[in-house]
Amino acid sequence: MMCFAVAGLSDAGVRRAVNEDAVAWRVSQAGDQALLVVADGMGGYAGGSVASELAVAAVLEVIGPKLEIPDQDPMTMDDAIQAAFNLAQRRILSRRQQMPALAKMGTTLVLAWIRDDEAHIAHLGDSRCYLIRGGEVQCQTRDDTVVQKMLEDGSINERDVPKVPFRNVLTRALGGSSDVLASMRRIDLLAGDRLLLCSDGLTGALPESCWSGLLGGEASPAEQVRQLVDASLANQASDNVSVVLLTVL
Amino acid sequence: MASLSQLVDNVVVMSFDLDQPLVTIGRRAENSIRIDEISVSGQHAVIEAIPNAYLDGVTDYYISDCNSTNGTLVNDLRVSERQRLNSNDLIRIGWNEFRFIDDSENALEQTAYILEE
Repeated sequence: MMCFAVAGLSDAGVRRAVNEDAVAWRVSQAGDQALLVVADGMGGYAGGSVASELAVAAVLEVIGPKLEIPDQDPMTMDDAIQAAFNLAQRRILSRRQQMPALAKMGTTLVLAWIRDDEAHIAHLGDSRCYLIRGGEVQCQTRDDTVVQKMLEDGSINERDVPKVPFRNVLTRALGGSSDVLASMRRIDLLAGDRLLLCSDGLTGALPESCWSGLLGGEASPAEQVRQLVDASLANQASDNVSVVLLTVL
Repeated sequence: MASLSQLVDNVVVMSFDLDQPLVTIGRRAENSIRIDEISVSGQHAVIEAIPNAYLDGVTDYYISDCNSTNGTLVNDLRVSERQRLNSNDLIRIGWNEFRFIDDSENALEQTAYILEE
């Protein structure tokens, strides 16, 4: 049986007074399953943090109890993941209707549910999941952004990305979209692999090429997460920075 | 609407509105923006205005070099393929300098938001 070590951290960053990200993680009592969640809220006033917290709470409510159930069918796990996205959407829309000040709130959501050597990864928006294997950093999610669509249709190239004025515009997210069908994939994990979930505050302040140096060695998962967040803050992270990291022991 | 401001010693001497789907730049008389100067090719560059496929009301402007002799540069880098312009980009057509201005960009720059359906 594989064992996991998980740690996470969320920081407002150096320019923002409010942290609109929310993170959570759980490991089952038997140690054979783990759940990692990152949400990046938006919508002004208190909206962003309300939306991201509602989303994370919905995931913990739906999937949390299932972490203790052994031998689940992978399809059932995917159904539970989608149920969590649907519940988060209902809660956010309901709160939007109740409180006019929150009428525009929304959030990204990325989660990884790991059972033994298989990880189920699901997302909406531009919060990402990376697999780090042998020093190589591989993104496992495709951003739901206008920029990603324009990269794919050839309108712009990677060099243009930091400059385009609509680089913050999401095409899909909880709250704003009517379609909240999560993008899902499954990957097999090996001993020594790491899964990293993050908000765009990390990728915006600290290029992926810098991660390997901060993620190796004998440091505990909590220390490694701290090092990543500290490095992004040292780079004047202008957005909220959130990271949840799982190491396969 | 976006415009091109021609600069001489960093001073704007002429401004051209980019109000057509295709604006041609060159030395020949038939160009939308004619620059009668030796470093500029007959047909030197074009700027296309294309509605953004994903954002209503947003127009993207793309510049291409038309195999000109002295090249087209954006922010000192030679244009080798069609390239999207951003407000305040500095464009060189031969020895001539232009500033690309698109005021509508400011509204988009702010914070993250979701396309509401």
